[in-house]
Amino acid sequence: MGYANSDHGDTAPLAVKILVAGGFGVGKTTLVGAVSEVAPLRTEEYLTHASVGVDDLDGLNGKTSTTVALDFGRITISREVVLYLFGTPGQERFWFMWNDLVNGAMGAVVLVDTRRLDVSFASIDFFESRRIPFVVGVNCFHGVRDRAPEEIRKALDLDPQVPLVLCDARDRRASRDVLLALVDHLMAAHSRQATPGS
Amino acid sequence: MKHWTEGFDDDDADETLVRPYTITGGRTTPERDDLALITLVTTVSDAFPEPGRGPRRLQPEHRRIAVLCRRPMAVAEVAAALDLPVSVTKILIGDLIETGQLRARPPMAFAHANGLPDMEILKAVRDGLREL
Repeated sequence: MGYANSDHGDTAPLAVKILVAGGFGVGKTTLVGAVSEVAPLRTEEYLTHASVGVDDLDGLNGKTSTTVALDFGRITISREVVLYLFGTPGQERFWFMWNDLVNGAMGAVVLVDTRRLDVSFASIDFFESRRIPFVVGVNCFHGVRDRAPEEIRKALDLDPQVPLVLCDARDRRASRDVLLALVDHLMAAHSRQATPGS
Repeated sequence: MKHWTEGFDDDDADETLVRPYTITGGRTTPERDDLALITLVTTVSDAFPEPGRGPRRLQPEHRRIAVLCRRPMAVAEVAAALDLPVSVTKILIGDLIETGQLRARPPMAFAHANGLPDMEILKAVRDGLREL
């Protein structure tokens, strides 16, 4: 796989990505914008999917096309590595089908809003089933910490190994710390893998 | 006698798709499937797409891509800058790679079922984030 001339692409850094998921209105784009070195960019893609349960018109082969928008930001890590953060504004059930978005992600951040935990359930289920490592960021809007972390963990039925961090998605440092929690989580998983049986 | 709606179907289908795919000469899927959202593309120095030259007629969008990618840019960034859907952007980028005017660096692939990112990459990302 790859282009015949991609060996010469050594002037370009290596790109990695982290997904920022969660339900509608939990602050995904806010978090991306807080840590990104550029204002969040928006792009879109047409996704074709089987239209189950929808009245099909003849000649459309039972396929429906949906436009899914994507907000993303960039952090230049070093001369060699650049990190992209991809957040999806709503329409979870469609972006789960966007393989190019999901494939090759280092891991994910699932943002939750304590007032509406249920809107992030689908994201948690998705990453668990795809075995994509993730951390949960509890977005404490306006400093409201109305529920204890253990209580949230229980309500989300979270695996004990999945880190849960409180944050304010508007704050650069707090948002960065959520990303660092993910990287630490990945490094810990790495160590476990290197020493089987421990 | 023909009903007045006859022949309208094709025009009405996916009306919003018409303009973007005009740029690609009607192609709707990239010929190569190895361009990812974060594949970094860079213009090969001295490459300067001339309109109307090469195996396919180059569009102004091709030229814009060549200018944008003088510094490495992710496919998603190019799509955002051109305000075009990702799949359309991939077709245009594919054209320029084919003619040797762009080169691509694929992202690191992670197979999560049995693998994790390289430890060196993780350390680099951690150190970089700490400096934010």
